[in-house]
Amino acid sequence: MIVEILDIVIAGLLLGGLYALIAMGLSLQYGVARVLNISHGEFIMLGALGAWFLFGFGVNPLVSLAICGPVTFIIGFLLYRTVFTRLRTSSASIGAYEGSSMLASFGLLFIIQSIALIAWGSGIKGYTYLAFPVNVGGALFAANRLVALAFAVFLGLVFYFFLVRTRLGKAIRAAAQDPATAGLMGVNINQVLALCFGLGAMMAGFAGLLISICYPVNTTMGLEYTIITIIVVVLGGLGSIPGSFIGGFILGLIGSIVTYLEPGLSLAAYYVLFMLLLLVRPTGILGK
Amino acid sequence: MKKKVFLPLLMAIFVLMFLFSATVTTAPAKDKIVVGMSRPLSGPMAKIGDSAFRPVYETFVAEVNAQGGIFVKEFNKKLPIELKVYDDKSDTGTMTRLTEKLILEDKVDFLWPACGTHNIFAQAPIANKYSYILLTAEGGATSITPMLQSLPYLFISLSFSDWYQIPVWADLLAEKGAKTAYIISMADLFGIEYAGVSSIELPKRGINIVGIKSVPPDIKDLSTILKEAQKTKADALMVLAYPDAVILATKQSMEIGYNPKAFLGGPGVNFGFYHAIFGPATEGVSGFSMANRKTSPAMKELFDKLYKNKPEAANDWWGHPLYWAGYEFWKQAIEKAGTLDQKKIKDVMVAETFNTVLGPTSFKGGLMAKESHTGEIGQWQKGLFETVGGGKWPNTKVTAPFVYPKPKWPVPAPAKK
Amino acid sequence: MDKTTVLSKKPLFLGLLFLLFILFAFLPLYGSVYSVILVTAIFMHIVLTVSWVIFSGPTGYISLASAAFFGVGIYTSAILGKTFPLPIVICFGALTSFCLALFVGALTLRLRGIYFSMFTFGLVLLIQQLLLWYEVNITHTRGRFVIVINNATIYYVMFAILAATILTAYFISRSKYGLALQSIGEDEEASAHTGINVTVLKTIIFAVSALFAGAAGAIMATRWTYIDPFIAFNPLFSFMPVLMAIFGGMGQFYGSIIGAVIFAYLQEMLITRFPYYYMLIFGIILVVVILYLPGGLVGLLQKWRKGDLAEKHANT
Repeated sequence: MIVEILDIVIAGLLLGGLYALIAMGLSLQYGVARVLNISHGEFIMLGALGAWFLFGFGVNPLVSLAICGPVTFIIGFLLYRTVFTRLRTSSASIGAYEGSSMLASFGLLFIIQSIALIAWGSGIKGYTYLAFPVNVGGALFAANRLVALAFAVFLGLVFYFFLVRTRLGKAIRAAAQDPATAGLMGVNINQVLALCFGLGAMMAGFAGLLISICYPVNTTMGLEYTIITIIVVVLGGLGSIPGSFIGGFILGLIGSIVTYLEPGLSLAAYYVLFMLLLLVRPTGILGK
Repeated sequence: MKKKVFLPLLMAIFVLMFLFSATVTTAPAKDKIVVGMSRPLSGPMAKIGDSAFRPVYETFVAEVNAQGGIFVKEFNKKLPIELKVYDDKSDTGTMTRLTEKLILEDKVDFLWPACGTHNIFAQAPIANKYSYILLTAEGGATSITPMLQSLPYLFISLSFSDWYQIPVWADLLAEKGAKTAYIISMADLFGIEYAGVSSIELPKRGINIVGIKSVPPDIKDLSTILKEAQKTKADALMVLAYPDAVILATKQSMEIGYNPKAFLGGPGVNFGFYHAIFGPATEGVSGFSMANRKTSPAMKELFDKLYKNKPEAANDWWGHPLYWAGYEFWKQAIEKAGTLDQKKIKDVMVAETFNTVLGPTSFKGGLMAKESHTGEIGQWQKGLFETVGGGKWPNTKVTAPFVYPKPKWPVPAPAKK
Repeated sequence: MDKTTVLSKKPLFLGLLFLLFILFAFLPLYGSVYSVILVTAIFMHIVLTVSWVIFSGPTGYISLASAAFFGVGIYTSAILGKTFPLPIVICFGALTSFCLALFVGALTLRLRGIYFSMFTFGLVLLIQQLLLWYEVNITHTRGRFVIVINNATIYYVMFAILAATILTAYFISRSKYGLALQSIGEDEEASAHTGINVTVLKTIIFAVSALFAGAAGAIMATRWTYIDPFIAFNPLFSFMPVLMAIFGGMGQFYGSIIGAVIFAYLQEMLITRFPYYYMLIFGIILVVVILYLPGGLVGLLQKWRKGDLAEKHANT
């Protein structure tokens, strides 16, 4: 019995690590740049297929992190500077901007996915990397999921310290709280928001890469992950990065428990949790 | 206020005129056979359509046209095939509308199939209503067999659960002395059906099913279920789900060191991408199959043709030979009927036996006769998907003996560390 | 605008409307069978879009529940279609959707903005998964065949639903309830203080808008011949009405209609003429419209006409 519970908890945490990583990026994009980015999953897809593509040339997936991350960052940054900056400056209110930017990201979903489809086709892709058990104190862990978990925690911490400790991080937080004042205080608001959006895209790229180690991938996989991301982000409180981090683990655990009890309802459980939380505590577990 | 409405109304009327003007078509002189298809070029079904029927129809049409086309006696000449492909966005509602567009507006000579079992169910009544032959590719199901009587224009080429895969699989297990099996099935028509057939066929041969778990298609973690299966010590694990879940189950079985004596996964194991992903670790994994290069010289020729200059991921050792055989059959039926008349061709398809890449091939009651099959169950052995089991029919060609128990997963993963 | 021009335009406008009505009413008699099918599909999109606009237009609450209401109609039709006559099935479909919307509306009273959108979207996915689980584990089936009805009947039913939707939308927007909804959209707190029963009004209008989506689903199911939870509860039908409404322009009542017509037709063109590039072209059009036409097509039209008028004034 104890072993079983341990198994479930570990499986949940390993899954949760991935979820947390996926969600932090969107949390940043929404929390600061105010874009509920429906195309978030497409950046995950780019990271995943990028890793697969490079693996074909013998590049170690962990090395690919250094390639896929910057690439998705640049794409995200440029998209913000071209599409979203224009939308932001022309929107009458923050509410109008949230609506139109969400719809624009819906269009981006189509464009990014379609380009990937033309480049890579829609077939199922994957590779094997670190797919063996690691024995830690008698319990067996999947090596690749442990790596993913470690990265999620590592990136989460780096990110947190970046926001709290660095000058740029402080500028980002200022922009999140009050863009207008931050602008007056000499923060180049467009630059900072684009940076945030780019960083969010980069996190998605990283997450996609780690997903490609654990799951088969293809060019149409994005939307599925966007939905999970949105659930986690709401769970943690919209825009709260630590919240998303914890929310990811909670969702992973719940998924794991329900999968054990009645696997047919594992996805339904996500949605029930999501909707109940919206009703009872819409600001999420860590929201203000 | 009213004036504001006036202009849009005028616009609406123009749009309307445009709409109807677009529907006027003129009948062209018969110099080609137009084949229409509604395929999932985008959306979640694209990954299935792209690797299953698409490479077959593209190669088939190119080959037929390279020979000048299909000889139709009625016109006393060879007519090349022209493909008209629409994107249904993986949406069944759009698929049904596009099917009617192809039939009614484009007046295509033939309708080729949409992708997936659920789309067969939706498309077959429409094709039948307009008396269009529908020779299907991806998909097939036991639950459609009772309807075949009322759908005379429907022909199903793919083999499926009790036609005749699971009985063969059960025989293989029973021969090797397997006593128990654990089933993970997908919560959809496919999973329900295969699990249902398995729970009839396996116990018949003294194999006990010690557990059945039904999982939703997008499941992201199977480790707890696999651990439970591991605890039952079942001899055979059957993952009756689509490729994503089959690949996930394989990965996670490796990761938790779960080594059942037999591992059947499908569909998914039968594709080249499965071997491309797992490499030598596939050794001993079983799946649904039809043929490989060793089956016959004709089969070797077909696979060389289909997979030349293509990545291994494009291979499919189950569906591709069947779709190809189906359309070879179709071509011969047209030539025999000597016309493009759907009813006459249908009658030929019902009555005749033609030689295809499988050998003598025929349709019985709307299904490709199981006696036409060259195999049912395959197993990865040294990088080849060998046919290890089939019915006891003349076409059947078993290319290697069934390895049982399956070798353990390599630990740790070879070469990459 | 002075009174005389309004009076002189009115008969022309009514005449046009009548002409349009006649044109559509007799379409199955002179149009090709496929034009009837295509127009039915376009009508469906208009119904979904306009019914979405009834509630979300004035209040600014972006509902993503359209697919749920539509899907409930589809399933009702699949279950009851074999035992009951068509009008009853459609009424049932509409009523089931109505009840669902009433329930959801009552539940989500406190939710604002993006939270409401997310809840409604979750609803679609939850129903899909629960239905799947129920069918697999309880009834041991998945998917159902739907009674097939001839295309002209489907067309006329959809036409009637369309007329009902547009009339309802028109009268609601002109009534005091329309104004009340508008004020909720502008400032919910303030409108509550002016004596509007905000919660009841919101819930009722939300449910009324669901009626039409449910009815449309019930009749569309008969065109689809076979349905399962994934086909019926396709999240795409949640996003499409929103995109169509914004594409057309939310500023005017007829904007959503124009948006739905052009959007649906554009999509049809792309998937048949450029099937391999459908997504790319479609995505680019979407982004361009959102970037450069914030008021939608109607906004563009108005801008152009305003410019036109200004020019005229300048000339005189």
